[in-house]
Formats: sequence, C-alpha cells, structure tokens
Amino acid sequence: MSQAWRKARALFAAWLTHMTIYRAEIVIWMLSGTLPLIMMAVWIGKAQAEGGAVQGFSSADFAAYFLVAWMSGQMTVAWVAWEISFAVRQGTFSTKLLRPINPFWEYFMQHVTERVVRYPFVFVIMTIGALLVPGAQLVESAAHAGVYLLAIVLAFLIRFLIAYCIGLAAFWLENATALDELYFVLSIMLAGSFAPLDFYPAWLRPILEFLPFPYVIYYPTQILIGRLEWPEIARVVLIQLVWVAIFVALFQVLWRLGRRHYGAVGA
Amino acid sequence: MKYLRIISILMGASLGVQLEYRANFTVNLLETALRLMGSVLGLSILFGGGESVAGWTFAEALAVLGIFTFFDGLISMALAPNLNRIAEGVRTGTLDFVLLKPVDAQFLVSFRNIDLLKLPDVLLGLGILGWSLGQTGVRLENLLLGAGLLLTAYLIVYSIWFALSTTAFWFVRVENVTELFWGVYRAGQFPIQVFPGWVRTAFTFVIPIAFITTVPAEAFTGRLEGVNLWVAVGIGIGLFVASRGFWRFALRAYTSASS
Repeated sequence: MSQAWRKARALFAAWLTHMTIYRAEIVIWMLSGTLPLIMMAVWIGKAQAEGGAVQGFSSADFAAYFLVAWMSGQMTVAWVAWEISFAVRQGTFSTKLLRPINPFWEYFMQHVTERVVRYPFVFVIMTIGALLVPGAQLVESAAHAGVYLLAIVLAFLIRFLIAYCIGLAAFWLENATALDELYFVLSIMLAGSFAPLDFYPAWLRPILEFLPFPYVIYYPTQILIGRLEWPEIARVVLIQLVWVAIFVALFQVLWRLGRRHYGAVGA
Repeated sequence: MKYLRIISILMGASLGVQLEYRANFTVNLLETALRLMGSVLGLSILFGGGESVAGWTFAEALAVLGIFTFFDGLISMALAPNLNRIAEGVRTGTLDFVLLKPVDAQFLVSFRNIDLLKLPDVLLGLGILGWSLGQTGVRLENLLLGAGLLLTAYLIVYSIWFALSTTAFWFVRVENVTELFWGVYRAGQFPIQVFPGWVRTAFTFVIPIAFITTVPAEAFTGRLEGVNLWVAVGIGIGLFVASRGFWRFALRAYTSASS
C-alpha cells in the first residue's frame, strides 16, 4: 500500500512539473471547447428577443447552465486515445510496458495533473462570465457543490476510460485517433452542449438516457445548478458508477487481448 | 500564368502522397457527416418549432450553415496544410529553401499543399447552401453577388490565417495559435443577428466573422444592405494588405536556424 502511494506521489509530482511548463498551451487548448459559450450567447440573444425567457428559461438560467456545462467539459477533457495511438505506432509504448507499473497510471496522472494547472484559468473565465450576466446562480448549495465534485470525477473517469479503450484499439487498427474524433463529434451533439436537454426533440430524449454522453456533461451540470431533486441525483450517480464499471471491464478485456497483438514497431 | 503552372505542379505532387492513405477517406467522410448532423440538430433545437429566429427562417439559416461548412472544409483543405508549416520552416531553418526560390515567398508558403481528405467537407457545404437556396428560391443577380462575396470572405479568412501563422517568426511554437481562430469561428455557424448586442458588434468589427458567413448568405437570400457589400470588400482588401505587410516585416526579423 505504501509502495503504491509512493508511486502515485512520484508520478503526480513529475507530471505536475511537466504540465506547469505547458501552461500556455493549456490555455490555448481550452479554446477547443468554446461551443457552450457560443451557445450561451445565442440563447441569451433568443431570450432577450422573446421578452426575457424561452420556455421558462431566463438569460440568467441560460448563463448558469452553459457556464457550468463549459466547466464540466473542461474538467473531463481526455486526449489519451491520441497518446496511446501515437505511442503504439512509434513503438515508444514498448518502454512503458517494461516499467513495473501499468501504463494506465502514467496516463491517468498526466490527465489529473493537467486539471490542476487548467482549473485556475477555468475559474477566471467562470468568474468573468458570472459577472457579465447578473443574477446567474452557478451553485445551488454547498451540498450540491459536494455532490458535483463526486459526479464530475465520475464523469471524468467515464470519458477517460472510453478514450483509453479507443486508444487500445490502436493495437489492431493503424490509427485510433479517427475513432476518438468520431466519439468527440457525437459527444458534442449529445452531451448537452447545444442546449439543456429539455430543448432536445422528444424522440431523442429516451435514447440519450441509455448512452454515456449526458452523464459526462449534462447531468453533472444539472446537479451543480440545482435543477435535480435528491432522489434523481442519487440515480444519476448510480448510473455513472455503472458506466465506470462497464468501461473498466472493457478496458481489462482489451488490455489482455491487445498486448498479445502488439507488434512493437521500431523495437 | 507562371504562377498557375506552379500551382498545378505542386498540387499534383501533394495528391500523389495522399492517394497512399485512402482508408482515412471513409472515416473522415463519416466524421463530417456526423458533425453536420450535429450542426443541423443544433439549429433545429434553436428554432424549436418556431417560424423564424432573428428574422431568419430555418431554410435561410441553413445557407449560413452551408457557407460555414464550406469555409471550414476549405481552410482544412487548402490553408491549414500550408500555413501550419511556416512554423516548422522557421524552427528547422527549411524556410531558407522557400526564400531562395525565384518565386514570391508568400505565394509559395500559401499554396504548396492540398489535403484532399477534406474535399467532401467543401462539397457538403456547397450542397447545403444549394439545398437552402432551392428551398427559398434565388434570383440570378443575388447568386452572382453571393458568389462574389464568398471571394471577399475567402480573402478575409486567408488574411487572418496568414497573419496568425506569421507570428511563428517570434513565437516559434505556434501551431496552436490557429486554435484561436477555430475557437471564435464556430460562432459563424449561426446568423450574426441571433447574438445579443455587444457580442454581435464584436463578431462584426473586432473579429469579422459576420463577413465570412452571414453577409454572403444575406446576399444569396436577397436581403443584403448595399453598404455591407462595400464594407466587406474594404475589409477583405484591407486585411490582405495588412497581412502582407506583416509578413514582410516578419521576414526582416528572420535570422534562419542552424546556418
């Protein structure tokens, strides 16, 4: 146990240093998720044109939803599929396999420490956004903030594990990044970046419930801004746990089969 | 004439390389189709069964989306594969080879490569525009006016990209700088009138996204105000001249790497 703790601390410290060097790039990467902010402006424009509210949502409601949705997107970013695909193609994955620790943890720490560097910038933009739209209430209560923290960690795990499984497909495919792009496009569409899901077509809602996408951005967002009752919150967290379990199992299978398939290019 | 011949030779070489990676083509096509479905879904959610938003009907707003997709594809096909390499040339010193050739250096760095993978995006964009115009009906003079404004829009897009890429002479690792453009450009998939006041002003005059997608769409749908035509032409030419001046200024700062 203490050995695992030592490994975790060493990885954390090493990657935190690494990510701190890349802080300028991290700010620029933040721009690739601007869609919720653009949609915020669009919906506020529509609310203003229609006399203050669209279907009961005021400008302040839209601002709260999209700012928190943007933050949730920022906190669940994962590019590990690209990393694995690159390492497998270049053969550098071999080095990682020789280390006495599953490469999973190295990539995991890379993503976790990046959050530490990214969050201060996210916080600044959230503050500016909240000041620009008076009356936007981003946090319902301290209890909701606490549950949001749990839900966003689970959301990150779901997204990270999906990306990891897609990355492991590189053992069989030449290039797994295209697959991850497909996931990304679907998630933009279905995770609630365009609008709160209440505005989505009625036929689409029940389908979305059976997909992981809303559990990464939409539901955590709804928890923080206080639009869900407590029993509903419990159901969301439970389903998030189920998704994590499903993708952990998939990861185990792919990992076992994939290593046998690995050709170690360039070694 | 000489420049046309050079373009055709360079494009031929670039195509030869890409025909070796045909499998990517299908995946990219699938991605484009999905992305487009997403944009149409987003637009239909915004309309929410209503007749019009900010004076645009759904079919008219699709013209804006078509032009947005068209430029999205055109940038990825013809601009990014070239301009992103300026940074590489500065870092490794290979820009020397470009500067030594007896052809205008800006021309050469701008038209060396073409990424045919993105051609379907361009065609899809034109297809949506065509479908939208088929729904709303279009008069010949508006068609010509719109086509002309697509050219000025391209001039604006090119100049912004070229200026962003030119910053590579000072900030050597600059590949990410173009993310600045994409982050803002996404707003162009909606008619500019849907945005609230000060955001609209910013997208019109600070970063002229409005003149890239909305203004040509207004011309096609026959609602363009005469003054906007001249403003668009002025902005296009002004930005081009400015970006060329910036490039010349940057070349003076270039000291070449490793030689």
